[in-house]
Amino acid sequence: MNPRTRRALEFVLDNLVWFMLIFVLAIFSLFIPNYFQLGIFANIIEASSVLGVMSIGLALVIIAGHMDLSVESVAALGAMAVGILFCSAGIGMGVQLHPQWLMVPVSLLVALSVGALVGSLNGYLIVQARMNAFIITLAAYIWVRGLVLAVSGGRSAQDLAPAIRWFGIQRLLGLPLTAWIAILCFVVFSLIMAKTPFGRHLVMIGGNETATFRAGIRVKRNLIIAFVLAGAIAGLAGWLLAIRTSGATANLGVGLLFNAFAAVVIGGVSLKGGVGSLPGVYAGVLLLSSINTAINLMGLPANFTQVIHGLLVLAAVMLDTFKQGIRQRLA
Amino acid sequence: MSEALLVLEDIRKNFGAIEALRGISFSIGKGEVVALLGDNGAGKSTLVKIISGGLEPTSGKMLFEGKEFLAKTPAEAKAAGIETVYQDLSLCTNVDVVANFFMGREITRKVLGIPVLDERAMETVVEKALASAGTRIPSLRSNVEHLSGGQRQAIELNRFVHWGGKLVLLDEPFAALGVDQTRRGLEMIRKVASQGIGVVIITHIMQQAFQVADRIVVIRHGVVAGDVARGKTSPDAVINMITGETLAGAGPAG
Repeated sequence: MNPRTRRALEFVLDNLVWFMLIFVLAIFSLFIPNYFQLGIFANIIEASSVLGVMSIGLALVIIAGHMDLSVESVAALGAMAVGILFCSAGIGMGVQLHPQWLMVPVSLLVALSVGALVGSLNGYLIVQARMNAFIITLAAYIWVRGLVLAVSGGRSAQDLAPAIRWFGIQRLLGLPLTAWIAILCFVVFSLIMAKTPFGRHLVMIGGNETATFRAGIRVKRNLIIAFVLAGAIAGLAGWLLAIRTSGATANLGVGLLFNAFAAVVIGGVSLKGGVGSLPGVYAGVLLLSSINTAINLMGLPANFTQVIHGLLVLAAVMLDTFKQGIRQRLA
Repeated sequence: MSEALLVLEDIRKNFGAIEALRGISFSIGKGEVVALLGDNGAGKSTLVKIISGGLEPTSGKMLFEGKEFLAKTPAEAKAAGIETVYQDLSLCTNVDVVANFFMGREITRKVLGIPVLDERAMETVVEKALASAGTRIPSLRSNVEHLSGGQRQAIELNRFVHWGGKLVLLDEPFAALGVDQTRRGLEMIRKVASQGIGVVIITHIMQQAFQVADRIVVIRHGVVAGDVARGKTSPDAVINMITGETLAGAGPAG
């Protein structure tokens, strides 16, 4: 095989999920009436912003060879904290800050710190106390959701302060600012993972933790940072969620975790760690979102969504095995 | 003997009730190649891990360049100038050759104050290092998982030759190498030693020890059973020291 076809083939393999996305969009556009509209595509991006942001944090931890099941509950807690502080109806306390715009950084900071706090607790228990990541974050998934229920008393907060809501309403090039925030997150974290020593170290830790330790990389520090980041990013997802729903309910975001996992796996991240990239994850998120949109447009009962998502995850895993086979032959 | 680089004094290591090392004392000089021999379970790998910061000794003292020294982590040992090549390969197979070569020591340049990997600079260095060692790898950008065992070990060996330091510990470095690569590996060791770097090599193969080492240290049941200059002993005598049949040729070198 000459180097050029080889490189072309590797490029296709590396970006397979993007090609899948384009393929699926093309098929839908051809066969589903009214699918091919800018508004629909904008909607797909808009609808995937919360899930997308959450998937970034999850992907970071999984690439580093661990697991974080708590991201969904952490996002809900972040949203609830923002909701209680800055909503004016329901259980909202309607805190007012002057000038108005000050509520934006403050609410964002609240959501991020709530997430980072849970993340650092997870990180400490998993990395320093050497407990199992699956169990620790499963526990967090349960207790953080419990905390959301407890502080809200099962009720909801409505009418988020307009200054914060502005991010969900104001549009730039047809997309609300919240969607741009998600895109920005993907760009920033993709660069961090691909171009900085920190990102490189996370990937290598996920590949062979012993080797990185022996090479003098501060494995524990890097892993704890990854967990804190996953928490903080989940907090950001919560902030976006609060804006999107203009408040917070006790069961906000239930089920997002499994979609996030699906997106991460479809995006080419291996659950064994060390493999995967964030652009792929974003494509995975968009793929899920475009399929949801297609189901809506075709007027299929929404109950089918889950079946299709599940099959898609299966297909993604099979595709991954297939890809491995091709790569082996390439080398 | 040349100036002592590393001196071990009565190093002990217990794992619970098991005494893996029961008072190891010997020294390594600058530019000296010491072959560390011993049967399976004699404590060779444990000793290497203690020197390289992977394990802490239960008791005992180490002097590195005349100063008391104890590495708590591999990073500390590395900072002091101790490089280690382990028996089970220490490569991340999920990243490419260049990333492995620079693991933990990436070349970066600042972009807006943020350290960014300088891939091109790193690739140039790796290209040069591999070429000068005569190792051929089709693409430096292919992931290590797609390389053969010999190529992987060559990367590890070239890595330590490149980074050098002051003392190199090699734990069974040639296990996966072919005849020609082993010969080249042994040459590499001599070259490294001639630069004044101390080398400790653990091996099972008597022939290799006699080919490359200045001095042979035998460990048996966690103590030094023999410490002799290469010229003053024979493979048979060393085998006897390893199995403990006699103590012929035992005693300090020189």
